[in-house]
Amino acid sequence: MNKQSEYVIETEGLKKSFGDQVAVDGVDLRVPRGSAFGYLGPNGAGKTTLIRMLLGLTQPSAGTMRVLGRPMPKERSRALARVGAIVEEPGFHKHLSGRENLWAAAAAREPAAHLRIDSVLERVGLTGRADDRVGTYSQGMRQRLGIARCLLSDPEVLILDEPTNGLDPGGIQEFRALVRSWIAEGRTLILSSHLLDEVEKICDHVAIVDRGRIVAQGSMSELSAGDDGAITIGCDDPSKALGAIDANGSLSDVEEIANGLRVLLRPEASLEKVAAELNRQLVGAGISVYRLEPSHVSLEHRFLEITRRLGGDS
Amino acid sequence: MTTVDSAVRAPQQPRLPFRMERAELLKLRKSRGVWIPTAFLTVGAMAIMFTAIELFHLSNSAKYGPAGGTDNFQRALFLMGQVAGMIAAALVGAAAGTQDLSSNVFRDLVSTGRSRTRLFLARIPGGLGLLLPLVAAAYALAAILSVVLAGGLPTPSVSLFIKAGLYVLFSASIVYVIALGLGSLVGSRAATISILIAYLLPVQAILRNITVLGRARDGLLSIAVERISPLPPPDPHDVVSMSRATSLIVLALWVAIFGGLGLWRTRTRDA
Repeated sequence: MNKQSEYVIETEGLKKSFGDQVAVDGVDLRVPRGSAFGYLGPNGAGKTTLIRMLLGLTQPSAGTMRVLGRPMPKERSRALARVGAIVEEPGFHKHLSGRENLWAAAAAREPAAHLRIDSVLERVGLTGRADDRVGTYSQGMRQRLGIARCLLSDPEVLILDEPTNGLDPGGIQEFRALVRSWIAEGRTLILSSHLLDEVEKICDHVAIVDRGRIVAQGSMSELSAGDDGAITIGCDDPSKALGAIDANGSLSDVEEIANGLRVLLRPEASLEKVAAELNRQLVGAGISVYRLEPSHVSLEHRFLEITRRLGGDS
Repeated sequence: MTTVDSAVRAPQQPRLPFRMERAELLKLRKSRGVWIPTAFLTVGAMAIMFTAIELFHLSNSAKYGPAGGTDNFQRALFLMGQVAGMIAAALVGAAAGTQDLSSNVFRDLVSTGRSRTRLFLARIPGGLGLLLPLVAAAYALAAILSVVLAGGLPTPSVSLFIKAGLYVLFSASIVYVIALGLGSLVGSRAATISILIAYLLPVQAILRNITVLGRARDGLLSIAVERISPLPPPDPHDVVSMSRATSLIVLALWVAIFGGLGLWRTRTRDA
């Protein structure tokens, strides 16, 4: 029995190049056991490539990785026995029924996987269509069948790459409910996505990746709050207000939003003091202020801030 | 993990031998695009051949002999061992080598942690499980009709029936493994079938008639397969003489080269 480590996934200096193109550049990733971990980044950031390396679908150019405490690819077979994954869109034999596809997939798993077929079909709500050919399934049904296939191994770790792609709003809601039930069972979820809202709603830990590098990593509260604060200002003349507070040294960023402004504070600034100061400045400039709302920086803002900054550096 | 849902926990370990091989067979058996042409090229080809000869015989028995007998059995053996049966084997092998790739299931199978070598090897018995029963059924049909429709003609001996049966099963298996390897290497079913049919029909026939190639023609698949047949082809062409041992070595090389290339590509392919 392998000693349970604190992290289900650990990588060090993981790198993957395609010729001169570096897709994953020295990634050090630690996914805590039992967490819902978001791997967040824009399209082309190297998210899928990292997942493909973790699953042994492609070889890394450099670096090391451990899955469930076992070195990859040396102990690949044992490491992946308790991992379920959907990479991009799940593939199926369209001429086979949903049940037959699961039967064929279970054949590559432990023998007990065959006994889980009925229960996983029921869990994803496909029992009634299990004997229909997959070619007749909608995209949402195929996605659910892909999830059923993941569950055949009773996985400790679920790795889902852009899982809500192509799902309608109802399907996305169903998917979220399903994911929350896995997390409640103590499974670890790794959700790779470019949809910030998706990650924010589901995950408790997150790594932000850009151009193959992890630029921030930690718990959701650490990353979404950090030392920064934000204030949303509701006023009658946002353009004039922008000019009135532009020179305020406590602000790191100001942006105009509908019916007001949103300002980001420098880390050393006090939220309450700056709010009072802004109010004075705006009223002094003859602007009617009807809302001053302190808030945490959302993950989305943080994500855009980081990637924008990196973009500016290059 | 401590709180795994009991709904997905299996109560006991089932005993399901050869699960991966059965899964491969299931994928092929359920594909109408594979089994219908395969059945046509094996059982169908025999039925058509004997029916056609018998109809000629019934329409003009003075000019055309009965459909059975050793000569017609010899023709059936050639058709099955070196033409239609080979194409059927190529179809099944190409499908077995490419179906997981074309449906994007290969990466899901690899991500289970199952060894890629094991995934490749499971395709050999899996595909033969579809091909050989059809070849055996076609052969049984040919054997029965060659006796039933013999009229007064001599019929093959029991010994010849046994040797010929083993020969058609063996030649189909050889071509199947070559097609499986090529399919796994190329990754495209259409390309694999095109290459193999082009080779098995016109290219090979042209090469064997280029006498300047001399002993190099020993390496041709059809010549090696022909040499292990218990009966010579009904219409012998410029046959390159080769010992049976040499022909077995040539066939082993074909299997080793294409099987090896297919295995190598399966092991190294980005899934």
